[in-house]
Amino acid sequence: MNPADRGAPLFSFSGFGTLGGVHSSDDRADFTNSMFKPNGAGYTHSWSNDVDTLIAGQVAATFTPKLSAVLQVISEQSYNNTYTPQVEWANINYQFTPDLSVRAGRTVLPCFFLSENRNVGYTYTWVRPPVEVYHLVPVTTNDGVDVSYRSHLGDLANTMQANAGADTAHLADNAGTAKARHTWGLSDTTELGAFTARLTYEYTNLTLSALDSFFAEFQKFGLQGAAIANRYGADHKPNRFFDIGAGYDPGAWFLMTEWASSQNNSFVTQTSAWDMGGGYRLGKLTPYVLYARTKADKLSDPGLNVSSVPAVLAERALGLNAELNSILSTNPVQSTDSVGTRWDFERNCDLKLQLDHTRLGAGSSGTFINIQPGFRLGGTVNLFSAAVDFVW
Amino acid sequence: MLVIGLALSLAIHTAVADVVAVVSAKSAVSTLSKVQLADIFLGRVSRFPDGAKAVPVDQAEDAPARAEFYFKLIGRSAPQMKAYWSKIIFTGRGQPPEEVHGGSDMKKRIAADPAAIGYIEESLVDDSVKVVSRVQE
Repeated sequence: MNPADRGAPLFSFSGFGTLGGVHSSDDRADFTNSMFKPNGAGYTHSWSNDVDTLIAGQVAATFTPKLSAVLQVISEQSYNNTYTPQVEWANINYQFTPDLSVRAGRTVLPCFFLSENRNVGYTYTWVRPPVEVYHLVPVTTNDGVDVSYRSHLGDLANTMQANAGADTAHLADNAGTAKARHTWGLSDTTELGAFTARLTYEYTNLTLSALDSFFAEFQKFGLQGAAIANRYGADHKPNRFFDIGAGYDPGAWFLMTEWASSQNNSFVTQTSAWDMGGGYRLGKLTPYVLYARTKADKLSDPGLNVSSVPAVLAERALGLNAELNSILSTNPVQSTDSVGTRWDFERNCDLKLQLDHTRLGAGSSGTFINIQPGFRLGGTVNLFSAAVDFVW
Repeated sequence: MLVIGLALSLAIHTAVADVVAVVSAKSAVSTLSKVQLADIFLGRVSRFPDGAKAVPVDQAEDAPARAEFYFKLIGRSAPQMKAYWSKIIFTGRGQPPEEVHGGSDMKKRIAADPAAIGYIEESLVDDSVKVVSRVQE
């Protein structure tokens, strides 16, 4: 398996990409697929190429049979609306035994089933991993160490992965940074023939800087203001993430499902999500269906008790309450039914077409961004997506 | 639906002659189950059940024997295998098996290396290699 073992090239170059376009039925908000993107389909663009389009290159180096390294650079729409290349993976891997490896450097956190390969559309069936589930964690990479141990019991293969580190990500729309500190986690994958099951726990100490000055305003309102700032502020708040998933893929068809929960005592609150999907392979065509939903537990708050604040500050208190509720309404409650098909029309290329019907929960703007006046909280939105994925 | 099904079954049944998994005649391995074989070719294990090192070798991507082998072994088409390896490559977890051009190159490669394991059409089998699995569906 090991290239250096057999005298093959020391370096292997490869890459992947997606060209995608999305149209939304609602022009008063943008649909996009991550909180790192500043705009998308709907309000900013009738057809957006920024949601799914990306290109990436990778070099993998094998120095000795035990020592290897990987560097992957990806260009996609980033928080500042440029396509400046970003380093997605950059680590050195030491293979102590065929079953035990340690990586140091940048890896992608294995939070969800498709987290590590979410950018490589060619490796899965849908146009993109469902946003309902995959928006739950505002950091995707981890700078630190990662240990992986594989064991075998009869026909059963088990992989335990443990990671620790930190990360800072830029969020879109001047939302500042998401700083993850003291991150650690465990992920366990069991494979038995066509069956795969996966469990993940990740802990991090999360700071979202965007609303620091907003919550500082509450401090001017005595104890009740301090209580609100403490409840919803996102300064060094523990974030606990749990995910369980399973998939069955005997070849001709497949089913997969996962459930995830993220607990955070800040304005992000506690959110759980799940998805379930499957497809049937008819030669080069794979028609599929997918259902996903997410539910945040806090969409509104009474805020400051205005009758107990000095009259001169009452207007300011009402303003802060309105803003707090506007922030909480961006916590997503939504579900989406998707139907689509993947067509493996050419070697190393696929074309995917997908229709999404999204229902927003009462009082929620869901995962949509750039909400404009007239956008209906609790409404429905339809999306049409087309994407071509390729690998080389 | 019927037409598609018919076309599919034709595509499958007009495939090449039987493909068998082979190791060098010098190898101590005598037989492998389909699961053991799949684990080696999917990169899940790097050793034979007796603990000896196992080096899987693939035929070229467009070789009919390759499509036949993976379809019979785990019911996967060429794009599905490409997707499987793309996931491993682009998460920095490894590289796919080395490739040789076709059946006769494969036989030479396997015969010369007791660690190597590959697959060839049954008609190519001679005493330089040993069949360890018939890879029946």
